[in-house]
Amino acid sequence: MARYIEKVTRFYKIIKENGGIMGSVRQLFWTDELKTGTLVGVDEDGNKYYQNNMYFMGRSRWVQYSPKYGFDYDGSQVPPEWHRWLSYISDEPPTVAKLPKRPWMAKHTENPSGTPDEYVPYSTTRPKIEAWQPPVQK
Amino acid sequence: MATVKLFCAKASEQVGKPDPDMNWKPIADRAAQTVFWTELFKGLGITLGHLFKEPATINYPFEKGPLSPRFRGEHALRRYPSGEERCIACKLCEAICPAQAITIEAESRADGSRRTTRYDIDMTKCIYCGFCQEACPVDAIVEGPNFEFSTETREELLYNKEKLLSNGDKWEAEIAANLQADYLYR
Repeated sequence: MARYIEKVTRFYKIIKENGGIMGSVRQLFWTDELKTGTLVGVDEDGNKYYQNNMYFMGRSRWVQYSPKYGFDYDGSQVPPEWHRWLSYISDEPPTVAKLPKRPWMAKHTENPSGTPDEYVPYSTTRPKIEAWQPPVQK
Repeated sequence: MATVKLFCAKASEQVGKPDPDMNWKPIADRAAQTVFWTELFKGLGITLGHLFKEPATINYPFEKGPLSPRFRGEHALRRYPSGEERCIACKLCEAICPAQAITIEAESRADGSRRTTRYDIDMTKCIYCGFCQEACPVDAIVEGPNFEFSTETREELLYNKEKLLSNGDKWEAEIAANLQADYLYR
């Protein structure tokens, strides 16, 4: 019996943490999932990272994409430091075990395929054969 | 053994499903099960039970599966902490690549150091074996932890040197940490 009472209290706790009935419906529509966990950190894009070891490994760490992305969230929006934690490579989040930062490091970008910023290949060398320009008759 | 027994069965022996009990009570029970769709509701009950169970799947892209620090994903060209690019155009990666996906051309730079002018990887040829990062004497070419680089067109997968260096600049924090986590085993 205590088992079922615990499940009901957890259900109410999850509803409360996700912002009431309407908030929960919105969250469910947005992420297909209602979960409860502790906030581990926020990255510079506003993505929030949560952890709850009650769920099994693979579900125990998750990301709540920033509301600015709306429904255009994508797996590649997670920056490298948090990617390391979210993929269970490291135990400590980057807020605890900080990764070294060099001045030449670039800011993380999401996968630009299909957008105007997409990568277009080009040659990085001079052409080896140059076309002959015929002399112009004066 | 069972097949042997099957072939040895006498013509009078029952080997299939036994005949149903034809007394009045079992007949009434079977008729009631059919009329009230008992199996159907049992099945629906199992479905309902699974609605409340924890799913066995992960909810990508919000949750991600575990990776190893050795994970071989998208390639990147690394730099030294000073910002100098590591690759010295020794072409060992080009030589070892079993898919021949790497093309390198080299020239000496203005300061006399040997550097690549072209470092192309055809990611459509690459088989992600990791030989290039094992062959590299200066840890310049690595396969980073990124696997979310799918593209909508084929040409976007023909990486050149600038693209590889920018991958390195974006992912260096994690690449360096993963190499650090694994260096004792290499």
